[in-house]
Amino acid sequence: MAISNSSREAILARIREGLRTPAPPIGDKTFYGPIFEAVGNPLERFQQECKANLMECLLTADAAGSAQALAQVLQSLPDGEVFVQDDPVLRRLITVASSQRQIRWSSQGGPLEKSQATVTLADALIAQTGSVFVSASCGGRGASVVAPTHIVYATEKQLVPDLVTALRKATADGRLERNSYACVISGSSRTADIEKILVQGAHGPMRLAVIVEIGA
Amino acid sequence: MARKISLFVPCFVDQLQPEVAVDTVKVLRHVGCEVDFPADQTCCGQPAFNSGFWEEARPCAERFLRVFKDAEVIVCPSGSCTTMVRVFYPELVSSGAMHDEAVALGKRTFELSEFLVKVMGLTDVGAAFPHTVTYHASCHGLRELKLRDEPLRLLRGVKGLKLVDMLRSDECCGFGGTFATKFESISVAMGESKCDSVAVTGAEYVTAIDPSCLMHVQGILGRRKDRARTIHLASILASEASA
Amino acid sequence: MSTNIPTPTPAGETSSALTAAQKFLRDAATKSADLVHREIIRKNMDSYDAAHNRGRARIKDWEAARRKCQEIKREAINNLDKYLLQFEKKVLERGGHVFWAANGDEACAYIKDLAVSRGVKTVVKSKSMVTEEMHLAPVLEEAGIRVWETDLGEFIVQLRNEAPYHIVTPAMHLDRNQIRDLFREKLGEDIPDADPQKLVALARRKLREAFFAAEMGISGANFLVADAGAVAITTNEGNGRLSTSLPRIHVAVTGIEKMIPRLEDLGTLWPVLATSGTGQPITTYSTLIGGPKRADEADGPEEFHVVLLDNGRSGLLANAEEREVLHCIRCGACLNICPVYRNIGGHTYNTTYPGPIGSVLTPHLRGSEFQHLSYASSLCGACTSVCPVNINLHHHLLHNRRDFTKAGGGKPGERMQFKLWRTAMLHPRLFAFGGWMMRRSLRLLYGMGLAGTALDPMRAWSRKRTPVPLPTQSFRAHWKKDLWKAGLRKKEPGRNAGGDQ
Repeated sequence: MAISNSSREAILARIREGLRTPAPPIGDKTFYGPIFEAVGNPLERFQQECKANLMECLLTADAAGSAQALAQVLQSLPDGEVFVQDDPVLRRLITVASSQRQIRWSSQGGPLEKSQATVTLADALIAQTGSVFVSASCGGRGASVVAPTHIVYATEKQLVPDLVTALRKATADGRLERNSYACVISGSSRTADIEKILVQGAHGPMRLAVIVEIGA
Repeated sequence: MARKISLFVPCFVDQLQPEVAVDTVKVLRHVGCEVDFPADQTCCGQPAFNSGFWEEARPCAERFLRVFKDAEVIVCPSGSCTTMVRVFYPELVSSGAMHDEAVALGKRTFELSEFLVKVMGLTDVGAAFPHTVTYHASCHGLRELKLRDEPLRLLRGVKGLKLVDMLRSDECCGFGGTFATKFESISVAMGESKCDSVAVTGAEYVTAIDPSCLMHVQGILGRRKDRARTIHLASILASEASA
Repeated sequence: MSTNIPTPTPAGETSSALTAAQKFLRDAATKSADLVHREIIRKNMDSYDAAHNRGRARIKDWEAARRKCQEIKREAINNLDKYLLQFEKKVLERGGHVFWAANGDEACAYIKDLAVSRGVKTVVKSKSMVTEEMHLAPVLEEAGIRVWETDLGEFIVQLRNEAPYHIVTPAMHLDRNQIRDLFREKLGEDIPDADPQKLVALARRKLREAFFAAEMGISGANFLVADAGAVAITTNEGNGRLSTSLPRIHVAVTGIEKMIPRLEDLGTLWPVLATSGTGQPITTYSTLIGGPKRADEADGPEEFHVVLLDNGRSGLLANAEEREVLHCIRCGACLNICPVYRNIGGHTYNTTYPGPIGSVLTPHLRGSEFQHLSYASSLCGACTSVCPVNINLHHHLLHNRRDFTKAGGGKPGERMQFKLWRTAMLHPRLFAFGGWMMRRSLRLLYGMGLAGTALDPMRAWSRKRTPVPLPTQSFRAHWKKDLWKAGLRKKEPGRNAGGDQ
């Protein structure tokens, strides 16, 4: 389909013409911050924020512990297929954690509606807001939103103190050059559109569980 | 050494609520100021300015500058009129020598509570008012002149006065100048919300630094036959002050 | 408990019999007197106030945050052409499309043609005020395409064939019982106890079918990130995620003013937007999309289109005094705090953007027919005090009023009235005499019991309030007589201004 972008030049011209008149000055800066409270202990802060976000944060000491934590979460779910990001680390983890489940790997495509859960890695964890930073390389777009439960496997090394740091890193990494999508996820899906009452599990997962392996 | 005060009386105070200005004079004299009323003054121009008729407002502003040219300190019992002079005159009279005059004049024009607390350094002016009073934080004084504490500190310094906090004290009463009549239904609804807040406090009086707010609130309190009555801060401060 | 919601009035439509201003006055009168509506909004706003204050307390230096956000948007808007080009280049490099639309019609035509040429039968939409501004849904529906609003609040008002009530919480004016009744009627399923959890679950089930069937997902954009070439979309529900993951085409529609320079700017803007919008530290899903699915990705749309809408924004940009109005991040805080909004509600404005920002913006985007909105304000300044990007909203209302009268707007009688007023104000004796006459004649009139009647020039005051006080002596008369008599004022040589009364 040919795109006739005839207005493009006109719009740009109007913008340029308009900007020839400078905006009036704004007052001198009198508020210098820091804007946000400093993050003292990132791991502690991450756990606090997860709790406030209604997320589950499961700390484990090693790979075995992580596999056990994963197994426990999976056992609590109804029978059915689980979608897992196709990554060597997760392949090992799933082998230990669950032999019963039907697994759909991300290399086969996106998760299906019938998936009971999705399991993915993350690009980073953010302490300031209790967030998980994912991108397309974490099993694709649907992986963090289609199924009613999303399980993330991450390590303490991936934890950064705040949003600005996380975003700067993403810029430096060229995260959005290598991924068509990224997302900072800070809780389970929710809505307050009815009488401002918080209800969990709107269109995304009702449950978000983050397994954090310490020391790794 | 008595301070020389030039009294700036808002046009509607002059015509409809003169007791506010009389009480202002009483208070200022009681704290040792010499008060003068430049009788040539009329209006600061706010009604025309707020309605968008800046061409009609500007001559009023320029006249005001002339009338008060030699005033050392100007005191006004209204947050909105003081705002007009200090905040908006420089924008209305935007160029030339008069602009600089406007800026300078604004710096020496004060709302009453502002003058008493920030310039005279007083919070007790010797007043006595043994009643329950609740305070409405008029918008201009609060948001344009940044007066949050000053009226409250003066109220706390009044003997026998019991100050009761109002919920949403900083919610607009709904007067807004010509808004009160152009958008009558909205103005009245806002006033009713304010009167509801007053009623909850059970106070006998509701006070503010803006006589226009009080005129509007009184109009609704009266219509509802509510218990509370309005009284300007100057009148509270003038009570028991010697005339 | 029922609230009287006006029957279908898609945003922007005015009744042919009344001007927009007349309709506004009529609807405002109805709504302001509606005590049930007042109570619902009061409850909602109290809840928001509490959350918002908690949220602000979480931020160490709120004023510094506002200043930073103001600076970010100021930089973006004042270099808008440069950043738009940087953004466009990146999106094109990744195989996305960028379409520049001068107005809503062009944007609608592009999206409709795209949908039709790709055989799209179903569209899922996440929240976008810009698509409301363009009236996109009717255009698509006319082409036989089914459009599903997926944000729960938008879904609800769509079922009611109503405009959104609020830019962040579209169904704020409804209670659970009304929503239950609506779902029963339109979705065919009843939830007898109207439990919000169950209502949400029902909506989720219904919309799930749409998400998986739709060929095209349409989203808005909260921000356009220039250095990353990405569209930033935030939702709590996850509908923005599903709309942009499952369908094979994603169209992001946005005003040109949503630009920000750098990805890291979101580190401040995201928390501030969430705090001002709902009191949260950050919205649940803060998504960034830079292009269509890459070959090595598991899933995602094959096509990615960004529609950049001007529709009057470049005109506003050219007005240097008003340019900062384009800094708005659409948080809704000004709506929430505005006492006028709280009394008349979102629908009364009859515009895409209600509340203070809507009153400032709409006359510029849609013309002087909506200038009455600039006057429908007491100028209390609460909006300015909460705006997270420091827009001086109430001063802009004053500017709108000034520009309107300068261009000859307003009732012809009013200009004459102010000319007469000016004459009086320039002559103290005339002023004093005029005031005395007014008081005297009103005292006479009210003495005859005519306050509030058609004969009362102040009836717009006296109808619903006790009449204004009418003292027999003005202050200046008092000053001349009594305060002089009490020997308390120095004699002024020669001056006799002020008149008798």
